[in-house]
Amino acid sequence: MRIDETATMGQHAGAVLVAHELRKTFKRVNAVRGISISVAPGERVGLLGPNGAGKTTTLLMLLGAILPDTGTVTIVGHRLPRHRSKAMEKVGFAAGYLPLPDRLKVREALGVFAGWYGVRNEKAAVAAALERFEIAQLSDRLCSALSSGQRTLVGIVKATLHNPSLLVLDEPTASLDPDVASRVRQGLLQFCSSTGAALLITSHDMREVDILTERVIFLANGQVVADDTPAAISALYGYDDLEGVFLQLADEARRT
Amino acid sequence: MSWRRIRVVMRRQAYVLWRAPHRWFDIAFWPLMDIILWGSLGTYIARTTTGSQAATPYLIAGIMLFHILFQSQIAVGTGFLEETWSRNLLNVLTTPVSEVEYVVGTAAFGLFKVMFALATLSVTAFGFFGFDLGSVGWSVVPISLILTVVGWGVGIACIGVVLRFGQGAEILMWGGNYILMALSGVFNPVDALPGVLQPLARVLPSTHAFNALRTVLAGKPLPADEIASGMTGAVVVLLLGFGFSTWMLRIFRKRGYVTRFS
Repeated sequence: MRIDETATMGQHAGAVLVAHELRKTFKRVNAVRGISISVAPGERVGLLGPNGAGKTTTLLMLLGAILPDTGTVTIVGHRLPRHRSKAMEKVGFAAGYLPLPDRLKVREALGVFAGWYGVRNEKAAVAAALERFEIAQLSDRLCSALSSGQRTLVGIVKATLHNPSLLVLDEPTASLDPDVASRVRQGLLQFCSSTGAALLITSHDMREVDILTERVIFLANGQVVADDTPAAISALYGYDDLEGVFLQLADEARRT
Repeated sequence: MSWRRIRVVMRRQAYVLWRAPHRWFDIAFWPLMDIILWGSLGTYIARTTTGSQAATPYLIAGIMLFHILFQSQIAVGTGFLEETWSRNLLNVLTTPVSEVEYVVGTAAFGLFKVMFALATLSVTAFGFFGFDLGSVGWSVVPISLILTVVGWGVGIACIGVVLRFGQGAEILMWGGNYILMALSGVFNPVDALPGVLQPLARVLPSTHAFNALRTVLAGKPLPADEIASGMTGAVVVLLLGFGFSTWMLRIFRKRGYVTRFS
């Protein structure tokens, strides 16, 4: 395990994301207890853990949507919350549970987000991003008329429109059928390799994590309990894959 | 502050207006109904009460200018609420758009809604009751400016309340206008209000705007003191609204309320 290293990795110059000692308590629940995360340029990192481990709260703190009680978040050198706008120009975010503005057509909604992200040629960027994930045919559909899987895909397209330095995805393939999920994974890998974007992803699909990530951070009870390559973590816990590790940590979290 | 992001906020609001026919009720249908209601009432009073021939212009001009406040306020308020209704708030919060840019964009688009509503009101008032707002002259400009700024301030404050207390507090977005309508002396001087409410009514900048309107309708010059007091108060309302909403947004982020809207 490299738990101690994580904090020191946060000091690395040039990291796209450095979160240091994040803590968050809601009423009397300690949701996040001293999490430090660092993501290097181009690195693909999985943020895993059982329900209630603190993944979504951590992600929302990394995105500035929730303020941590203590700790700092810096994205591409821009510290939150003071430089939130500058930081968000470098981040793309999508979540499987997140709808889109429902009165807009897909191309209109993506055009709005492209404009907010500062993309110069909005139309071309939207067309290219839709093409990358093979959903150009959805361009003229109203967002409210999309299936949940299509909505998720468009959300991912939205997150990649502006070629972000860091792509943050919260359970992006949760509502997708296996065929579409596979296309999304390929699209994401292609996007990250061609643009050099780093990826921070949460998922409950351990096979997906194996495919998409080169490093995994396991959370349990609001703390980092493991931080290494998928293979190293599996070996450390005595399993062949991450599935066993996940089940063991979930079981331990339930009992504590 | 990025003007480009502000323009995109306006574009986003334009798409919503275009695709949501019920939104046209705010800027076309309700103004039409208001003119019919208050114009008819004025006409009736003028026919039945001696010496009340001037009631119609007072009532119609009052409701027309009240719509400036109303439209400015709901343009800002519903612009934001649209993000909560479509559960798009987290998407917006994770873009580079700042709070100021978002509010400026919705307020600026609100000016278009004000213009549209005023056009509806003017045509209807002239067509049905022969009242021409142009008869007020250029005095209508500073009076309208006060009411626009007050509307923005109240709308921004209402956003703060929704951020803090959730969508249940949306009722204030519309209800707040009727409080102002009752207390600002839209149709009558504030000394006609119950005595206990008069001190409160007198500090409202909208009251000064409507006092100025009645003075001009009575054929007197625009009262500079009312305009100065109204404008000062309007700026104070705007700053207080923004300060309050910024405070509520901080609580919203601290307590993780974004999950309520996602």
